[in-house]
Amino acid sequence: MKTLTNTTNVDGARANGRRQIVYELISGGTGLVLALFMWGHVILVGSILTGERGFNWMATMLEDYYIAQPTVAAIFTLFVIHAVFAARKIPAQLAERRRMIALAKGLDRAGREKVPSRRDNSPFVPHLESMLWIWQVRTGMVILVLGSFHLILLGVDVFTPLFGEHAGIESTTSMARVAAGLWLPYAILLLCVEFHASVGLYRLVVKWGSGFLPHRRYLHRIEQFIFWVVLGLGTITLLVLAGWMSPPLEFLLTDVAS
Amino acid sequence: MSDKETTAPRRLRFEIFRFNPEDPESEPHIDFFEINERPYMTLYMALNEIRETQDSGLQFDFACRSAICGSCGMLVNGRPALGCRTLTGDLPETIRLHPLPAFKLIGDLSVDTGTWFREMAERTEAWIHEQQPFDKDAQEERMSDDIAQAIYEGDRCIECGCCVASCGVANLKPDFLAAAGLNRVARFMMDPRDKRDDADWFEVVASEQGVFGCVGMMACADVCPKELPLLEVYAYLRRRTLGTKFLAD
Amino acid sequence: MTSQLITTDVLVIGGGLAGERCAIEAAAAGQDAMILSLVPPRRSHSCAAQGGMQAALGNCVKAEGDSPDVHFQDTVRGSDWGADQEVARIFAEEAPIAVRELAHYGVPWTRVRGGKNKYFIKGESVEIDEALENDGLITHRDFGGTAKWRACYAAAGTGHAALYAVDSQVVRLGITVRDRVEAVSLVHDGRRCIGVVARCLRTGKHFCVLAKATVIATGGYGRIYGRYTTNATINYGTGAALALDTGIVPLGNMEAVQFHPTALSPSGILITEGCRGDGGYLLDRNLHRFMVNAEPEKQELASRDVVSRHMEQCIKDGNGVDSPNGSHLWLDIRHLGEKHLTTKLLEVFDICRDFAGINPAHDLIPVRPTQHYSMGGVRVNKDGEAYGLAGLYAVGEAACWDMHGFNRLGGNSLAETLVAGRVVGARVAEYASLTTLHANTEVAFAALAAAEARATTLLQREGTGRSVYEIRDALGEVMIGKVGIFRNGDDLKSAVEDIRALIDECSNVVLRHKGPGANPELAFALRLPGMLRLALTVAMGALARTESRGAHFRTDFPLRNDREWLSRTLARWQPDAGAPTLSYEPVGLLDLPPGHRGYGSDERIEMQATIGEYNDAVSAGQVGEGRLATFEPFGSRLRQSQGEAR
Ligand SMILES: Cc1cc2nc3c(=O)[nH]c(=O)nc-3n(C[C@H](O)[C@H](O)[C@H](O)COP(=O)(O)OP(=O)(O)OC[C@H]3O[C@@H](n4cnc5c(N)ncnc54)[C@H](O)[C@@H]3O)c2cc1C
Ligand code: HEM
Ligand code: HEM
Ligand code: SF4
Ligand code: F3S
Ligand code: FES
Repeated sequence: MKTLTNTTNVDGARANGRRQIVYELISGGTGLVLALFMWGHVILVGSILTGERGFNWMATMLEDYYIAQPTVAAIFTLFVIHAVFAARKIPAQLAERRRMIALAKGLDRAGREKVPSRRDNSPFVPHLESMLWIWQVRTGMVILVLGSFHLILLGVDVFTPLFGEHAGIESTTSMARVAAGLWLPYAILLLCVEFHASVGLYRLVVKWGSGFLPHRRYLHRIEQFIFWVVLGLGTITLLVLAGWMSPPLEFLLTDVAS
Repeated sequence: MSDKETTAPRRLRFEIFRFNPEDPESEPHIDFFEINERPYMTLYMALNEIRETQDSGLQFDFACRSAICGSCGMLVNGRPALGCRTLTGDLPETIRLHPLPAFKLIGDLSVDTGTWFREMAERTEAWIHEQQPFDKDAQEERMSDDIAQAIYEGDRCIECGCCVASCGVANLKPDFLAAAGLNRVARFMMDPRDKRDDADWFEVVASEQGVFGCVGMMACADVCPKELPLLEVYAYLRRRTLGTKFLAD
Repeated sequence: MTSQLITTDVLVIGGGLAGERCAIEAAAAGQDAMILSLVPPRRSHSCAAQGGMQAALGNCVKAEGDSPDVHFQDTVRGSDWGADQEVARIFAEEAPIAVRELAHYGVPWTRVRGGKNKYFIKGESVEIDEALENDGLITHRDFGGTAKWRACYAAAGTGHAALYAVDSQVVRLGITVRDRVEAVSLVHDGRRCIGVVARCLRTGKHFCVLAKATVIATGGYGRIYGRYTTNATINYGTGAALALDTGIVPLGNMEAVQFHPTALSPSGILITEGCRGDGGYLLDRNLHRFMVNAEPEKQELASRDVVSRHMEQCIKDGNGVDSPNGSHLWLDIRHLGEKHLTTKLLEVFDICRDFAGINPAHDLIPVRPTQHYSMGGVRVNKDGEAYGLAGLYAVGEAACWDMHGFNRLGGNSLAETLVAGRVVGARVAEYASLTTLHANTEVAFAALAAAEARATTLLQREGTGRSVYEIRDALGEVMIGKVGIFRNGDDLKSAVEDIRALIDECSNVVLRHKGPGANPELAFALRLPGMLRLALTVAMGALARTESRGAHFRTDFPLRNDREWLSRTLARWQPDAGAPTLSYEPVGLLDLPPGHRGYGSDERIEMQATIGEYNDAVSAGQVGEGRLATFEPFGSRLRQSQGEAR
């Protein structure tokens, strides 16, 4: 198969191949780690559901054992790397993006066609995944802006105590700033990131695992389930942080204390 | 079957993309046609009826009219499909038809898929690179029926181009091999009669024109009229590239 | 593209299996080959072949004892002794090589599975132990009219797999393929064919391709039966019409038109014979297996002409199933089970689902005999040389090489395309290497100008009248109604008149669309006269042949008549004549003497001459009948060497 590459030398093409694999592994791998981290994030920030004490206990512990600081640094690095490598797939020109979107919309709204299938005879759901990819790009852009801001904010939170008086992540500061208006960017970020992560994971699984995994129809259902659960938890967390809801799991800790 | 025949026939409205590059006066536009629906009417019947009774300049391609030759791919309400296999009964009353994108337009609904596929075949050297020259006096080489079936599954592609047209990446990158091309590569990789090894196909598969051009939009698998397991093919190829340990020297 | 004159060594008109295999042979021998095709080669109608390809490999239990000799006999019986037996012999000997060569090219033939296998035979489920030592060899399925299981197959997509494999070799050899190009006339000087005038179906421009050797491989002419055919919409038979237009080259046995028993009703899409080969039955309205009584021995697997007649008779007797689109019968393959249907008969499963909305594992399939194959075509000798013009060849369904006589056996056609491609291709290469290009530009430009004038006249003509499409439909109705499965003198006479009237009407036809470019209506209008002429040749040949042989069945002459009609019809169309002139030649040297086919009726009119006398007459006559004596006939050399080996 030298025709594809006979203008350049073979080693160049092979080196390119090697590079492409590495790029793909980087963008997919960082995406995977970030997505898994976001599940952990739900639990960490979700500690607010047990009340401020739980939240602060968690934060203090992570900071005191120097888990938080390297994590923030690592996540920030992965975040940037992921953005850089994943973005190489985004069409550069506006006209190209428009064309892609038009195509995806056409497929998505194709209408009533039934596509008979040998695998089962369920009526066809107009194609969705192209549109999901478009939205992944869009949410990625939003995450880039809001996520960077959030990470810098948290970086300040966890690193300043190393140099001075500041007390690190604290429920009061967190709740105060969320209530003061950060709830809006957070809500947007939450929606975007959970969507981006669950769709990304789904895509990753299909891209590498099709063949011995269940049909993607089922994988998609699992993906949707996870998306709604995580989004739900995140929303409640946000409501509690903003002070619009009392921590629903507070009784757990009060019981222990009494 | 019967309930379809007893209901009153619908009046179908077609919105068809028109452009004849050979005619200097022609501008891309949409033409409207109306015909009565008949039971089990396919787009093959409908388009011929339009051409024969309303506009005999209308260009489109059909050959086998039985979903095996791959001539008649077109965008049906935005979705690539085989015209001969699409029943109007499965469509709304208004049917929008456009030529397949990603291919060179010949005229109206007719596109040049032949050139695309020939180029793809040349680039990927899509033929058996045999171990030995043919010996006409020898018995055929043995092959287990399971492998034969697996190869047949990949060989079923009819080169209709629907997967290419549906893929966002293939629409933007003319040199992307797309699902049809990579499916063909995989078919030869699987074939024990082909002597090419990992190193031979690595550069084609592991590249932006190959499997890493794909971003997983998955439309290809959804529109393939032959229901080829294209996503499985992609996943297989991806895993095979890892299996090469990147072919470090 | 803009050039009006292109040259090459070997020009092949048609990118189906026959044309491509022929081009490969020529290119491998170092000749520059070029293929012209209406569609990209892989879309040629060869891709539609489903069921299988006959070759006597004898690999599975039910094929044990098979040999080219048995294959030869089946072929001649199938042809109702209309075949050229020398050719049938060459064919049967070479078919195994052709199948193995395809395996070499990459066709995923279905293979023998050693151990217990379940088959359906004559309606019974049977378990057969395949020998373990045969595991992995190419297996066979049963087809109509054969003594052994012989059809090699790749699920139900045999033609597709074969065409893709062969085309991959065309790509490999870098053979130039000009798709969306239609040959519209042959360029010749009365003695030698030097190429064609072609029309580009992208731009509508005409150009000339000049070559040392020209090969017609344009497939069958099923579309003269309008929509009552299993053939692709591109099977206009243009190649045969081009040869007929020369006035010199004759067409052979045009009245021999095959009807396939099981085409989906009403769309006419083929359901392969492999369904019956694998154990499917035919049922009438009472769900009764009428073929068991009609043909106790072969049942559903008698030859196609016989089964089609029984089916049509069954419908005539009022036992058809009524539907808004006319009567039909049922094909039952439910008992084969969903697993079998979605593997070995996958294409059939898909067609039933897509075009009839049924699942053949649960539902009966509505079927009706429908035009399927053209035994007739450009008459060529053993070497594929057309009579009368040097440098002109024909292969495949377009040719009357004549191994099929009056009825082709299922699976013999794919095998023919490849065997003929090999044999004739080698001959073409040999011819081309010994000759130089006769680039007679005067003749070429005259032909080009004539073709352009035809198109211009059509575009400029004003007036009213029926459209080309209406004339085409009218032709189809005449052909199916009067030149169908059952024929008789009165119907045929009236068909001849009808077609002549259509020819007149067509010569004044007016186009609706006069725009520039390919203009699909103009393209069709240019083909239609050729289709009409072929149709007239079929009808007149059928009218003149006052006997019944194979697919040609005359209710007024129901017996096969070996005394008077052991002959092949040759039709030539003199320039400016209103109809073809018919003449006859003997079918060829007889090896297997005429007798009972083993199915169908056993009554016939015996020949009077002895085989020896007949063969002497053949040998003498062959020289007179325009056979080109320039070279030692390739086929006979082949036969001689085999004779020595035996
Ligand atoms: C539905 C169906 C199923 C079949 N199944 C079987 C089977 O199971 N087994 C079997 O043995 N046989 C089968 N046959 C028969 C067999 O498929 C054909 O006879 C055989 O494939 C013909 O091959 P060919 O190369 O001669 O012609 P085709 O494959 O028809 O090719 C004709 C070529 O000529 C080109 N052409 C035509 N006119 C022109 C022109 N004027 N200028 C330029 N190019 C032109 C076309 O573009 C095409 O490329 C089947 C036939 C049909 C219709
Ligand atoms: C910084 C902003 C981000 C941008 C611009 C971005 C962009 C993208 C893009 C364009 C893709 C598609 C790549 C491809 O198809 O190959 C993608 C994939 C993915 N992203 Fe992000 N992303 C961002 C942040 C994140 C975050 C925070 C997470 C985790 C929660 C994440 C998880 C994923 C996953 C799992 C994938 C799938 C990888 C694959 O299919 O190969 N991304 N991202
Ligand atoms: C290690 C890195 C991170 C730490 C330590 C961290 C910590 C926190 C904390 C303490 C809050 C509470 C609100 C606040 O204090 O402002 C919060 C909320 C939030 N964080 Fe992070 N975060 C990290 C990474 C990320 C990343 C990468 C994202 C996504 C791009 C993200 C998205 C969010 C969102 C959406 C909220 C809103 C609350 C919710 O509903 O969950 N965080 N995070
Ligand atoms: S893979 Fe499917 S959609 Fe793509 S060309 Fe082949 S048959 Fe058509
Ligand atoms: S649609 Fe395109 S992006 Fe990949 S999964 Fe299919 S090739
Ligand atoms: S016409 Fe052959 S696939 Fe539609």
